[in-house]
Amino acid sequence: MDAGERRARACAEAAEWWLQLQAREMSHSEREQFVKWLRESAVHVAEMLRIAHVHNALAQFERWARISTAGSAAETVVEFPQERATPSEGSERGGRPPRRMVVVGAIAASMLGIGALTLFLPSSNGRTLETERGERREVTLSDGSMLQLDPQTKLRVKFAEQTRRIVLERGRALFRVEKDPHRPFIVETDGTTVRAVGTAFAVDNYQQNIIVTVAEGRVLVAPLPRLAALSEPAQSASQGGGNAASRAPGAIALSANQQLTLGRKGALEAVRKVDSQRELAWTKGRLVLDNVTVAAAIAALNRYNRVQLRVADEVLAARRVSGVFDTSDPESFVAFVQTVVAVRVLRATDHDITIASVD
Amino acid sequence: MSDTEARRRLSDWFHRWHTPLRRFLIGKTALPVADLDDVSQEVFLRLLRYGQTELVEQPQAYLFKIASNVAAEWSMRARSRHPHDSNWLANLIVEDLPEEDAARESSQREIERAINTLSPRYREVLKLQFAEGLGHSEIAARLGTSPRSVKRYIRKSYEKLRVELESELPGAVNHGRR
Repeated sequence: MDAGERRARACAEAAEWWLQLQAREMSHSEREQFVKWLRESAVHVAEMLRIAHVHNALAQFERWARISTAGSAAETVVEFPQERATPSEGSERGGRPPRRMVVVGAIAASMLGIGALTLFLPSSNGRTLETERGERREVTLSDGSMLQLDPQTKLRVKFAEQTRRIVLERGRALFRVEKDPHRPFIVETDGTTVRAVGTAFAVDNYQQNIIVTVAEGRVLVAPLPRLAALSEPAQSASQGGGNAASRAPGAIALSANQQLTLGRKGALEAVRKVDSQRELAWTKGRLVLDNVTVAAAIAALNRYNRVQLRVADEVLAARRVSGVFDTSDPESFVAFVQTVVAVRVLRATDHDITIASVD
Repeated sequence: MSDTEARRRLSDWFHRWHTPLRRFLIGKTALPVADLDDVSQEVFLRLLRYGQTELVEQPQAYLFKIASNVAAEWSMRARSRHPHDSNWLANLIVEDLPEEDAARESSQREIERAINTLSPRYREVLKLQFAEGLGHSEIAARLGTSPRSVKRYIRKSYEKLRVELESELPGAVNHGRR
């Protein structure tokens, strides 16, 4: 370690001590350690004095009003446990095999659990929200959080005093979470749990994998050993900061415009950088296709519409297309396909359109 | 521990070694940061001479008391090296000095510049602490994060600012000299 590194390290340690000096009365052994540290090196002393200067500079600074904090986003944590540890989410799922759990959570969820009086739904089973094929719905919850449900999505809202819990049974939804650090906002889906405070993210459980996309704020993905830990955010908080997520080893940070796909085996792919606007275009009624097969495009479009498209042959089904479409306008997709490849369009009924390759 | 309690303790704590710290930082004998290394060397040697038991009682009070003493001696020596600015400066009280406006202005500007090198999140945390006087838990609640990360933000900010403020030290410490 060269001199510069030693100094930087001493500075970090000094800052740490400074905070500790402020945080509370230090115990005898802590003070002993502090003295020991000070007496180790003149550099330690120098850095301690410098940190005092920095503190003083901040304390006498008078122009805070001019300091912009624009862009300071909520910091959020995502946790995922390897396995579903307890059947606490209702016995209806008890018979299913253990699965990995995922939690997207805010560090803030670990705040002291000072009982905030909040509105909560009377029934412990909560209210069920469901959208059908072709239906999209926006719902504002009692806490001010906004949910946007894509078609064929089913979720239950289970708000309680300490937690705001959403069980996403299928489909996908965007969650714009109203900040309430005392009451973590938890989304569970198929063994995946997403916890957040004051951020916006989407959870997609249409397919095999669960996809978490963060639009705003920052999240951390980490193993969560027990589901129980989730429902007691206050407890981890009172034990001195951090929560399961921040303590968990192997945490993966996800910030705005990042996406994480969680496989069935709990294996994580690398965090991807995405354009969240684009990834979440569905929340605005747009379908962004980026080199996907016609079959996949049709499957996606069909969710949004009563008009159902089919593809007649495998060659056409496997063909890849890119483009941006209005989710409520399958005809435009058909028209688009016609421009890139010769297809026949067969209309059995108004709601049943089949496209096929021209031999 | 509630925030109120935390703050009360903080203020108790601060009072106990406030005076030496304050004298060290902004008294008339306060030093430019450039001299800190030399001063620290001396403070370090004196710390070694104290008994462990004694120091452990109130390490921070001792540290800043010693530092303030060393700084005073230092600045006395410095004054004798720079006789021109010593007489009137020695009698000044830092807080209410119209003459110091220019120095203060430049020091405020310098601190502002340094703070603006931090990213928004760090600035916000500092602002909540110093402008609004919030405790770590309150800041955490406000920002939807944990007290632990708030501390991390503050610690990192200090480290960064320490480097930023290295060359140009904020006014107060320059009051005694130059």
